Amino acid sequence: MAGAPNVSLTLSNQPENVLLVREALSGMAETVGVDGVELNDIRTAVTEACNNVVLHAYEGAEGLLQVELYVAPESVEVVVRDEGTGIKPHIRSDEEDALGIGLSIIQALAPRVEFKDVPGGGTEVRMEFSTPHTQSLGAPIRDGFEAPAVEPSELATTTGVALAPSELAKKVLPRVMCVLAARARFTTDRIADAEMLADALVSRGFDSSVRQHLSVSVSVGTRVVELRLGPLGSGGAGRLISDSDAGIAPVIEKLTNERRIANDGAFETLELTLRDER
Amino acid sequence: MTVTEMAPRATRQPTLVPGVNDEAKLFARHQEGDKAAREELVRRFMPLARSLARRYDRSSEPFEDLLQVASLGLLKALDRFDPALGHPFASFAVPTILGEMRRHFRDAGWSVHVPRGSQERALKVRDAQERLANTRGRAPTVYELAEYLELDQEEVIDALQAIQAYESLSLDAPRPGATDEATSYGDAMGEEDARYELVELDATVSAVLGRIPQRERQILRMRFVDDLTQTEIAARVGISQMQVSRLLRRSLDQLRALTDTKS
Repeated sequence: MAGAPNVSLTLSNQPENVLLVREALSGMAETVGVDGVELNDIRTAVTEACNNVVLHAYEGAEGLLQVELYVAPESVEVVVRDEGTGIKPHIRSDEEDALGIGLSIIQALAPRVEFKDVPGGGTEVRMEFSTPHTQSLGAPIRDGFEAPAVEPSELATTTGVALAPSELAKKVLPRVMCVLAARARFTTDRIADAEMLADALVSRGFDSSVRQHLSVSVSVGTRVVELRLGPLGSGGAGRLISDSDAGIAPVIEKLTNERRIANDGAFETLELTLRDER
Repeated sequence: MTVTEMAPRATRQPTLVPGVNDEAKLFARHQEGDKAAREELVRRFMPLARSLARRYDRSSEPFEDLLQVASLGLLKALDRFDPALGHPFASFAVPTILGEMRRHFRDAGWSVHVPRGSQERALKVRDAQERLANTRGRAPTVYELAEYLELDQEEVIDALQAIQAYESLSLDAPRPGATDEATSYGDAMGEEDARYELVELDATVSAVLGRIPQRERQILRMRFVDDLTQTEIAARVGISQMQVSRLLRRSLDQLRALTDTKS
């Protein structure tokens, strides 16, 4: 499938991130008309592929788990990639039971599966699922896609999310925020605020973004969540938090504890901090 | 780049059970109608069925039911398997068992309905949220809800999302300890109405606010002007926090759409 992904998740290979991937899949399903049984298949197969990365790709060390979703009419493709040691096809059948079952499950549930070695080390699992009722998501997005930059040193606490188009982002970003706010030990009140903030960013963020994707990185601490939205065009960050946009500025102001605009040459980044000060 | 297509299924499926030397004999005896051989095969491959059932453990069906369906799939696989073809049994069994489980979900109406187990869990989470908020004086975290209800985090998060997504879950379900009068929207809101003016976030918003239903206007005001938490709003209005969340998100969406049209 050509073009840029509709959803790109840059994650560490921690087990808890599998939940985040599953929630993103559910949000996708809600948007494009994937039914409950199909979603169950996709979630199960993708979980196996992610668990593979969590358990085996880095031999106990931390590393990258990259997940991409591509929505097409009547099919959904999911790519799970790591930069680890890889699982060489010829030894796959000799792996221990759990891993063996995982690969059998992926094969049984995804009509098309492909394994690739990633240049420079790592493995890519590409799974295509047939979803006869999937609606198309407008024109495919091709140019200028880059996954949000997450430094290796911050990978343990930071998640990169890139989403397009807005109708999909509207369902996926709040769910991702819910998972991350829960991880930050937010109360359900503050989790709901984080979801409302995600709604607001999706509703206006695309206009300010310099790319076709809405690109956010989210860092999680104890009772604190920090968002970086960008790259945004010149004045883009200000538009989101100034009073000139009544639909979003008061909401962002009320829901966040801190708001900063960072400049990096031609681009801006909007940095938002949410705390749970219960 | 090296591209490695998956080899044909049959040749590269893992053999899932160690000590397979006598497996061929067992299958041969099973084919001749030897019940003891069949039982031994079931015993050997039951961990496979159990392992597959566990994959769907969070799917809102009780694990015992899933295991039963998976076991049925295993029996079908044993009876249909042809050892003469030379493939390992597991390569045949995994898709057969998964097929049985998918059929089960399809038959249970999963494709069109929110599974009943999910609905019940969502209501439990909603009620626990309220109970814990009452005892602690603040809303609970997902961890606290999970611990209290003996669920895992994903189940709680899915429940929070289900309440957001399906209006009927939160609006039609009876609330524990609530009487009709005290909890119906109209009455609760009617009393509060006189004390709240229009939300005046700013001029543009005020201009379109009239087009948002009254109860949503009041909830918006409580959150964004009076600075109440959603749990506090829920207690005043007599609905759940998750329902407050849904109403807030929906009315903010409407507001944004309306201000968009205006500008």
